[in-house]
Formats: sequence, structure tokens, C-alpha cells
Amino acid sequence: MVQGESVPPPVSLPPLQRAMPVAEEGLATTSTDVVVVGGGVNGVGVARDFALRGLRVVLFERNDLAFGASGNSSGMIHGGVRYLSQAPHVTESSCRDSGYIQRIAPHLLFRLPFLMPIRNGAMGRIALELIDAYFRAYDDYQPLKRGEPHCRLDATDVARLEPGLAGTLLGGITFDEWGIDGARLCVLNALDAIENGARVHVHTTVETIARAPGGDGPVRYVVEARDRSTGERVCVGARVVVNATGAWSPVTASLGALPQARVRVRPGKGVHIVLDRRLSNYGILSEAIDGRQMFLMPWQNVSVIGTTDDDYYGDLDDVHATSEEVRYLVQGVARIFPSVREARAIGTYAGVRPTLYEYGRNEDALSRDHRVVDHAADGAPGVYSMIGGKLASYRMFAQELCDRVATADFEVTVPCATHTRRLPGGEGIPDATALAVEHGLTPVAARRLVYRHGGRARRILERVARTPTERDVTCPCEPVLEAEVRHVIREEMARTVYDVARRTRLGLGACGGMRCAARCGQIVAQERQLPPSEGGRMAREFVETQARARVVAMGPAQARQEALALAHLRSSLGESRDA
Amino acid sequence: MTDVVVVGAGVAATAAALSAAREHARVVLVDGGTGASSLATGAIDALPWQNAAAASDREASANGPAARSGAVDPRGRAVLDALGGYALPDRPALLLTTAGIARRADGHDAGLLNVAPLAGRRIGVVRCERPGWDAAAFAAAWGDSFVVVDATVLRYLDERVLPDGDFAARCDDAGRLGWLSERLREAVATAGGSPIAALVLPPSLGIERARAAELSARVGLPCGEALAAPGGPAGLRFERARDRALEAAGVERVRARASEVTRESDRWCVALDGGRTALADALVLATGGLIGGGIEYAPSEAMIASVLPPFARVPFRATVAIEGGSPLGMHGRPLELPGSLFGVAPESLAWPFAREAPMDRVGVLADADGRVSPGLYAAGDLVADAPRTWLHALESGARAGTNAARDAGAATSGHALATAGGAASPSRP
Ligand SMILES: Cc1cc2nc3c(=O)[nH]c(=O)nc-3n(C[C@H](O)[C@H](O)[C@H](O)COP(=O)(O)OP(=O)(O)OC[C@H]3O[C@@H](n4cnc5c(N)ncnc54)[C@H](O)[C@@H]3O)c2cc1C
Ligand SMILES: Cc1cc2nc3c(=O)[nH]c(=O)nc-3n(C[C@H](O)[C@H](O)[C@H](O)COP(=O)(O)OP(=O)(O)OC[C@H]3O[C@@H](n4cnc5c(N)ncnc54)[C@H](O)[C@@H]3O)c2cc1C
Repeated sequence: MVQGESVPPPVSLPPLQRAMPVAEEGLATTSTDVVVVGGGVNGVGVARDFALRGLRVVLFERNDLAFGASGNSSGMIHGGVRYLSQAPHVTESSCRDSGYIQRIAPHLLFRLPFLMPIRNGAMGRIALELIDAYFRAYDDYQPLKRGEPHCRLDATDVARLEPGLAGTLLGGITFDEWGIDGARLCVLNALDAIENGARVHVHTTVETIARAPGGDGPVRYVVEARDRSTGERVCVGARVVVNATGAWSPVTASLGALPQARVRVRPGKGVHIVLDRRLSNYGILSEAIDGRQMFLMPWQNVSVIGTTDDDYYGDLDDVHATSEEVRYLVQGVARIFPSVREARAIGTYAGVRPTLYEYGRNEDALSRDHRVVDHAADGAPGVYSMIGGKLASYRMFAQELCDRVATADFEVTVPCATHTRRLPGGEGIPDATALAVEHGLTPVAARRLVYRHGGRARRILERVARTPTERDVTCPCEPVLEAEVRHVIREEMARTVYDVARRTRLGLGACGGMRCAARCGQIVAQERQLPPSEGGRMAREFVETQARARVVAMGPAQARQEALALAHLRSSLGESRDA
Repeated sequence: MTDVVVVGAGVAATAAALSAAREHARVVLVDGGTGASSLATGAIDALPWQNAAAASDREASANGPAARSGAVDPRGRAVLDALGGYALPDRPALLLTTAGIARRADGHDAGLLNVAPLAGRRIGVVRCERPGWDAAAFAAAWGDSFVVVDATVLRYLDERVLPDGDFAARCDDAGRLGWLSERLREAVATAGGSPIAALVLPPSLGIERARAAELSARVGLPCGEALAAPGGPAGLRFERARDRALEAAGVERVRARASEVTRESDRWCVALDGGRTALADALVLATGGLIGGGIEYAPSEAMIASVLPPFARVPFRATVAIEGGSPLGMHGRPLELPGSLFGVAPESLAWPFAREAPMDRVGVLADADGRVSPGLYAAGDLVADAPRTWLHALESGARAGTNAARDAGAATSGHALATAGGAASPSRP
């Protein structure tokens, strides 16, 4: 087998040509139209699209929704500015789709103005002219996503906008993008799918994809999955199976004995450092020593430094930043924004991009960074893999797949509605200040609640009205009300403390869960009717996992805090006594 | 010039100072401020919880006795008596935590309710609107014998949001305590079902001293607090008890931070901030671990963005520099200089998930008597490879203080330690 020259192959063994196994008779206890494997943004996006077209959908997610790349991205809904010169139509559709995402989840997006400082070097003036011209062309598409036109700034303007920048600058360019909470985007898509009839199983891993005995009826495949905490097996018959497992795609393909090479992705690991506050109101672009672009950006109530891109062949269920990567990022950003040295890092997170393997090698792959693989060519009609993609283009990607599958496999002609129908909470978004007054919350708590839940913030506050003790602030850093913790367990499929954190950002602030993890564990155990020790175990697991993510970016002050968190955990959880 | 200088003001330092004073030494204590002891929650353990959990796995019954390796050192017990306000029952205590767990402990602050002797009896969890206090959830989590009891515990509106310490201070007032006991008596009387045998309250029972015994006497049944977040009343009660005991023992107290320890003509010389120095025949360092600030973590990241350091650095350092280099160690050996300029990659420390958690093991190397070098002792969280627990701080402090006083006595009576070789440890009683 001939391998690509530039990128090492992910697996050294040549793919075995095995035939997809045939499932035993009577294995599938239920049947559906489509099984979606993977609860990242692509999986939930597809599930929602199918559900809105009236098809029956079952989705399996091995960990939690947004556990993979979707919950660990840079969180930008960008307009495809980098395709501008080769494929302006991609930029146009990216911008239009960014506009659609704003329309369906207006509460979840926040404006992210970027500032690109230009150094006063040999090529400085030319660079400024070129970049200026480039963004002038981008301005044509900005109205599609309610973006402001770019600005060309001189050195004085740049210094006035962001006094923290170092070095002698010639000037700079600003351009407008949008930020989003990727985890919430996934949860909202999954919720809407469920509200339109889909079934979503979290913490349930697909173990095999087999042919249904008896061939080409409405049920062509049997997907066998297992709940990872209860061990319970779920077998579902389906006509169509969609592999939307991102970086896991080759592994998933092998579960149905499909050739891995057909769904090969280049697993590019990217890490981010989270700093405890907004250091600037602008996203600032900078270059690392090796010329790679990186950024420091305000993101919700923190700042984020990102990101790296390195081949990764480790355990996909356990991806974390190393101190080497942290050092590289801080060093790179400090060149242009020196005060990051003094800033306080409160965590890191890492994800693996499912980049198209041949990206940049052929025209088609260059003009778009996602692709639908139809496994009919492998003798498995009705099995599709979604390769690549971006948070920003998930809706478009889902629509592409669903348009094709709806007609080819189901003869369904209902048009796509994912760009017009709002996501849960996307309507009737209340005014946070009024809500704070009405329910006796701090304005910050109200604002954060409305950011996360939009119109559904009211549902959470109805809980408070019924049970006033649920106004208690469970996580003071974020802040998160007890009512919200209970809500995400009951209504948004959170099963563990970590799941609650993904949905609410509980415990992801400066204290690392010291003040909230134990209480949250208690609430999870209560809501799910588990023994209290189980809640304690989850809390411990959360704090320890977080500690590992933080330790690589930890300064002396954090080391102390970490020690304190551990001591607190020890003294309040002690040893588990439930026999 | 004094016999013994103790640096630190936590459990270990207090134990050292009181034990040295019992040996009739003249003692100066250098108080650098708050440490782990003031933040602790009032449980007294001998083993860290990972070990305790591992020990209980080996035990047939989860309710069997805690795995304490032996009886508490009598010198440690003497310190506890001098402090007052602590209980070290013969059988392990069972404390309730706001994390919803009943956990074992070797001893506890007297304000906490020990439910071990109440096994099988009905215990009331007092409902009130304090932050993080969910009586119903706790009752469900702690076990079948717990029931919610409605009582008026808050007297003023601000008490719904007041920090634990400020709230607890209100019970130092005898009038308030009387008022509370009446409310609790009413509540117990009107509670249905089989009789209530004890009451659990949020952290609230005084900061001058624990008012649990007084309250119990007035209500007519055991009343006590559950164990809660760091920085609560139990830590404040420790500070008050320490202040009283040190004063009663005639220990002189200096508020300062020590920066360097040197040996000058057979004396220990402690440099304090503000240019002062303290001289002594023997010295006990009890400056705590990471939380107390006695050991600092100095990761490579703290210096990455500036120029590269010319030499490799150990990622930990002690706040008090000791003449002759860093005495820090781990696994019984001095801490090695890492191979790279950047120092040890912090993730390779694998803290805090590995059993051999380095950040919990790094410290000053000392022998079983706490001796670092002749006349120099270390105690408490500062010591390498020792469990970072209250009981360890107490016992190691008491041992170090006693030995330091004896060394000082030997020094004063002419038997210079340097010539005694230091290797042979003084015989212990
Ligand atoms: C560092 C980084 C920064 C990024 N920044 C941006 C950005 O700013 N803007 C943007 O638009 N895009 C960004 N991206 C890209 C974007 O995040 C991803 O392309 C996108 O999230 C991919 O989604 P996905 O659903 O395909 O994969 P994933 O989100 O990885 O989802 C795959 C899911 O499949 C599950 N799974 C795996 N195996 C099984 C199985 N056997 N059974 C059931 N479930 C299984 C996994 O648990 C996982 O949750 C970034 C990516 C990275 C890594
Ligand atoms: C939140 C929390 C919960 C805990 N729970 C439990 C528990 O349930 N059970 C248990 O057994 N243990 C528990 N512990 C651990 C226990 O409290 C500690 O092991 C013990 O208090 C350590 O005492 P110490 O005197 O060695 O250190 P510390 O109390 O930290 O005292 C160190 C002192 O040294 C001073 N100092 C530091 N540097 C200098 C300097 N350069 N000059 C002068 N002074 C200096 C500090 O100011 C401080 O006064 C807990 C600790 C914490 C923080």
C-alpha cells in the first residue's frame, strides 16, 4: 500500500478486507429509520435535520454530547475568510450559514471583534496593504452574518484600542467574527431532535454495525450499543447508519468491517489555555516562533489562548494538553501581548480535529473541508460517514447529507428546516436585567443564565418560584443556580458532574470545582436516585480530571489552590462508607 | 537569645512550642499568618483519605475501626489537652459532611457532632436557610436514621447569607445560645415519630470556643455541627485555642516571616523580615506545605516568557532558605535537579491522582524524630513523605518541640551538639 509522503499513516497494518457481519435473527428489539453514531456537532446536527423531516432517528454517543472536538474547539463561528482567494463561493456560503446559526440560536452567539496587529518590519507596509485589500473583499460578505466591515488602523489607533500590545507596530486590521459555546450548541440540537421524536442515548457506545438478516427491507442494518455505566445493551435496526464520530471515524468504520482508509482523517490535536478573565475586548492574532498563527481572545467571561495543530495518535477518549504545548502557546502570544505572562491560567482543554486526510491535495478538498463518504462503494448502501467539518458549517454539512439521504434512501421530499426553525430557547429571549429584578438574582447570574438558555431561562426560574431553595448558587464562579443544575440533569441528559459542567460551565472557573463539585455530585445523585457515594465519586473524578488539565499551566498560586481543593475534598468526602 | 525558636503558627508549630515549654525551655514562636490549620474543617485524621480508603478495603467490615497505626503519642495528647476543645475518642468518630457523607475520623473539633455512638438512633437534621445547607438532601444521603427537623435557627435576615464564621460568632453570645436552645427544644418536642436522639446543625456553634457541649446540656441531647467548607468556624476555633494556650504557657510570639536560617557560633540564627533576627540553641521549622506557604511550587511556566534561566531549577523551594542548600526531598532522597532547563514537566508529577502524589510528598527531609540536622527540626506538612494530616502535624510537632527543648537544654549545660555528632539521636522516653 502506498502511503502519503507528508503525513505518517495512522495505522501501519494494511486494512483487512472483511465483510460486514450479519446480525443474529431477532437481535434488534426496535427499529428506526436512521441511526446516528456520535454526539458531536455533526451527529446532533444530522439527527435534528432528519427528525425535522419526519424521519425516526436514534443517536448514540459514547461519552457525553460534545465530548470530542465539538466541546473543545476554539468556539468561533467564522465566515470562511481563508477560502476567499481560491473559492469565494465557500466564503459566501460560510457567511450565510453563520447568519443562519445566529437566526436559530441568537442567545448563544457573541460578537468577537479581532485585531490583527502588523509589525513595523521590512514587509510591514506591503503586508498591511495586502491584508487590507483582502478584508475589503471579505466585507462584501459580512452583511450575511451581521458582521461589521473591517477597519484599517494606524499605530496610534491600535495602541488606543489595545494598550497591551507590545513592539513597534505599523498599524492593524480589525475584522468581525462570532463566538459560540460549542457544547451548548450540541445540546440544543440534540434537544430539538428529541422534541421532534428522536431518541438520544448518551454514555452509550456503538460496538458493532451489522447487516440485518434478510437483506433490503426497511431494516438493512442492526446497530448494537452498550450503556457504559449500566452495561445495558441496546440493539436497533435501521435503514440508514450515519457515522459522525469525528476523529474516531476510522474506528467506527471498523465496527462495521468497513475499510478504514475510506474514512481516514488526519487527527490534528489542538490545545487551548483558559485565563481567568477577559484580558482584552478584542481577539488578538499573533504568530508563534515557527510562524504559526495563534490567538488570544475574550470568550464568555474568560480569555482563551489557542491553538496548536499536531498529529495525534493517542487515546481519543483521553486527550489533554502537555506543559510543552502550554509553553509554546504562552511564548507565542507573549511576543505581542506580554502581560499574558502575569495572567492567571485556570485550565486547559484539548480536542482532536477530524481534518480531511487529503486536505490541500486536490481541488475538491481544498474548496470545502468536509465530505460525505457513501459506503455503497464498500458494499454497504445506506451507510454514510461524515468526515471533517467545522462547528461553523455543521448545519450546512448536515443538510447536504440529509438532502441526499432523504431522497436516495427514503423518498422523503420534506425540505430542510434547520435554518429557519429556532433551536430550543432561541425564541422569546428575556431581558436579563428585568429577570434579575423579578427573581431576585444577581445581574451576573441572570445574564449568564440567559446566555446559556435563552427563552428557556424562564423554565429554570419557574423551578425557583416553586422551590425557593433552588435559588442557591451551586457554583459561585460561573455562577450557576441549583435550579439550573437540576434542570440540565432532568431536561438535558446530564448524567455526571462533568456533564453538568459541560452544559453550565460549573466548576470550570478559578476554584477548579472546590466549592461546587461535591454539592453538584450530591444533586446528580439525588436527581438520578443513585447512592450518595456515587455523587461523591463523580465529584472526585471531576476535580481530579480538572486538576490534571490545570496542572500543566499551573503557577505557584494555582498550585496552592489545587492543594486546597484536594484537602477540602479529602476532608468532606473522606473515604466512601457506603458498603 | 532563647532556647527554642519555632517558625510557623499552625498545629505543628503550636504543638512544638507547647511541648518545648513543657520541657521548661524558653520559647519564641514566629507567626507568619494563616496556614492550613486555620482552613481545616475540624476532622482529625492520621492517614490521608486515599490510604484510609485502601485500608478499609482490606478490612472485612466497612464499619470496623479506622486503621490508625497506634495510640496517639502522649506528648501530642498533652498538647490537645492544653488546647482544649478537641475530642480523641477511643473508637473512631463518624462525622457528617455537607458533601453528603458520613466519614470516619480519629478525632474532631468538639463543635462537630460525632454520630458513631448514636448508631441506629434517630438523628434530626435541622432545616434552615443557610448557603449550601440542604437538610433534606443531607438526611437522605447520610442514612436511614436521619430525619429533617424544622426549627427556627436564624434570628436575623442577614443570617441567610452571612459567612459561616460570622454566623458562628453569634453563638458566642450566651443569650443567643439560650434562645437557640429553646427553639431546638420546641422543635424536638413537636417533631413526630420516634424520639430524636441528637441534632445536626450547620457550622454555627461559636468561634471563641465550641458551644456544642453547652447547647447539648441545655437542649438535653447531643447537638453538633456538620463538617463544611474550608475557612469555617473550626479553623477559627483552632486559632483562638492556640492563642490562649500559647499565652498560658508563656510562649513569646513574634509576628513576622522568616527568610533564612544560618548557623552562627553554635547558635541558630533566623532572619526575619524587617531586618530582625532571632537566635536560639534549637530550632523547629513548622512552616507548612503548599497551603501553609512553607513550600512553594515554582514551575517552569512561571519563567517561560522571560529569558531562559541559566541553570536548571528544582520546581519546589522552601520559603525559609537553610544554610548549606535546599534540604527538600522526596522518597527519602534529596530532590534532584531536573535534566532540562525547564524543570520537571508538571504533568509528570501526576498530581493529585497518582498514589505517590509528589506534591504531597515533597518536603524537608527529616528523621523519625523530626531532626534535619543537629538542633534543627521540621514538623507538620513541611516534612517530606509524611501524611499531610492534622494528627501528623500534632504528633510530629510535639516530638520535634520536645526534642528541640532537650537539645537546647544539652547545649546550655555545655554539651555542645556539634561535638556530640548529632547522628546518635537522644534517647526518647
Ligand atoms: C482545537 C480545535 C479548535 C477548533 N476550532 C474551531 C472553531 O473555532 N470553529 C469551528 O467552526 N470549528 C473549529 N474546530 C473544528 C470543529 O470543532 C470540529 O470539526 C467539529 O466539532 C467536528 O464535530 P464532529 O461531530 O464531527 O466530531 P466530534 O465533536 O469529535 O464528535 C464525535 C463524537 O463521536 C463519539 N463517538 C466516538 N466513537 C463512538 C462510538 N463507537 N459510539 C458512539 N459515539 C462515538 C465521541 O464520543 C464524540 O463525542 C476546532 C477543532 C479543534 C480540535
Ligand atoms: C481545607 C483543608 C481541609 C483539611 N482537612 C483535614 C482533615 O479532614 N483531616 C486531617 O487530618 N487534616 C486535614 N487537613 C490537613 C491539616 O489541616 C494540616 O495537615 C495541618 O493543619 C498542617 O499543620 P502545619 O502546622 O504543618 O501547617 P500550617 O497550618 O499550614 O502552618 C504553617 C504555618 O507556617 C507559617 N509560615 C509559612 N512560611 C513561613 C515563613 N517563611 N515564616 C514564618 N512563618 C511561615 C504559615 O503562615 C502558617 O502559620 C486539611 C487541610 C485543609 C487546608
